Amino acid sequence: MNNTGLLVVDKVCKSYPLPGGGRLTAAEDVSFGVAPGGSLGIVGESGSGKTTVARMLVGLVRPDSGTVTVGGTARAARTPGRRTARLARAREIQMVFQDPYLSLDPRLTAGQCLRTALRLHGKEEALAGELLERVGLGEREARARPRQLSGGQRQRLAIARALAVDPRVLVLDEAVAALDVSIQAQILALLDEIRREAGVALVFVSHDLAVVQHITDDVLVMRRGRVVEQGPTARVLSEPSDPYTRLLLAAVPREGWDPDDAVAARSALVEATG
Amino acid sequence: MTALTLAPVAVRPRRPVGVLLAGSFLALVALAAALAPLLAPYAPEAIDLSASLAGTSAEHLLGTDASGQDLLSRVLYGARTSLIAPVLLLAVAAVLGVTLGVLAAWRGGWVDAFVSRLTDVMYAFPGLLFTVLIIAVFGTGMTTSVLALGLAYTPTVAKYTRSLALSESGKPYIDAYRVQGMGGARICALYLVPNLGRGVVGYLVVLFGEALMSLATLSYLGFGAQPPSSDWGLMVQEGQAAVVQSALLPALVPGTAIAAVVVSFNVVGVWAADRLGRRG
Repeated sequence: MNNTGLLVVDKVCKSYPLPGGGRLTAAEDVSFGVAPGGSLGIVGESGSGKTTVARMLVGLVRPDSGTVTVGGTARAARTPGRRTARLARAREIQMVFQDPYLSLDPRLTAGQCLRTALRLHGKEEALAGELLERVGLGEREARARPRQLSGGQRQRLAIARALAVDPRVLVLDEAVAALDVSIQAQILALLDEIRREAGVALVFVSHDLAVVQHITDDVLVMRRGRVVEQGPTARVLSEPSDPYTRLLLAAVPREGWDPDDAVAARSALVEATG
Repeated sequence: MTALTLAPVAVRPRRPVGVLLAGSFLALVALAAALAPLLAPYAPEAIDLSASLAGTSAEHLLGTDASGQDLLSRVLYGARTSLIAPVLLLAVAAVLGVTLGVLAAWRGGWVDAFVSRLTDVMYAFPGLLFTVLIIAVFGTGMTTSVLALGLAYTPTVAKYTRSLALSESGKPYIDAYRVQGMGGARICALYLVPNLGRGVVGYLVVLFGEALMSLATLSYLGFGAQPPSSDWGLMVQEGQAAVVQSALLPALVPGTAIAAVVVSFNVVGVWAADRLGRRG
């Protein structure tokens, strides 16, 4: 699974210097691949390094080592200075951010937001209407600023903005975490549709196992910057082989669930593995 | 457990009476400056030595100065330079300060270190001394004063803009522009700076009063506006000699004008900065 596919990530590492000396390892030897139109979930608790991996994919964080390859060409670690190279790079991978309240320019209306992205990539500005329609936003929303849109509408706009660039891979960093459950379901349905219709590969970063189960084919479980388990989502979530994955699954609330058990199990694991 | 009773809090919208008063006064001053040729009973530089240091009368509502120039006419015309010059000064400081501040925040690293140390050095250097130094090199006059003070105000604006830009450029919408493949210069000029607009404008409004004072100080010291200008600072300096002859009006009239406008601007400025900051 690691050497084939549209997006191939090979042994990327990233560590940050700590104020008191030493280094914090945010990602270590993370490798995975995603097929065209495929869908990969990256799960783990807060601080496990999943957001760092997502930001390395789009180039917001430069990996210390390792490569990210899209369609056979490796992505430069640095953002290229040349405009055409920069735009070509942007068309490989786009990202939808966690917080739709902060990821949209407060000054631009939905229509302006999309036209800015389209113009940058030399596309017809008229496509903005189509994009809005595709994510279920209408004329009224096109004229609204982010402040006048609901959380779900904003996230739809953020998805439309990413699609405006016509990317081959779409990275979603906790993209539904800030939304309530019914809106979550709508956004997930929209993403599934985009994936099937446009063949866009999805990388879905989330701490929510139910969401990951719903939308991904494969899953990667991260803990403290390392991949502890990876494989088909159905198998990993039904018969987890790693104790940490079992712990994550045990932490999901269900009938007859006791939060104290989950907390105790976590302390036991931390004690056993350090 | 004790029951907690919350007294009903009357939410009364604060009526900014002071702001309203100050605002209307400023509007009046601006109007008077614009209509000075219509309102002023005399030409501002018309000398009438027979009416030297006259007190208030029907002919001269606010009296005259040592040269017999009508003080009301002079103070009306003086409002023009006194209001426009600070705007120009702040425009110079805003262009330079915002550029430096955004550059420092965006590039970080040695660029930030360089700009920050530069502003620190200029901060530590007394602003007036710095201005006088520039004037000593380039000569006296209103244009030099405006440019010199514009430079002197630049570090303050740069520091403020840098802190605003640092927090703004950390927001994901800026990351989103980068992920789209947009270049840094374009992001800063077209999207980052306009989003700092409210905060920076609010800050400039607060600085206006101070800028007016600084310019009046320079004119008073003889570095700024030159006779026969009706600049308020220059008028105070000219009226000073008359105080000894127990004629207070020549210094008092322009002095009061400066004080009233500066206080009004501070009242309006603090209110505006507060509102702009809260909504931005």
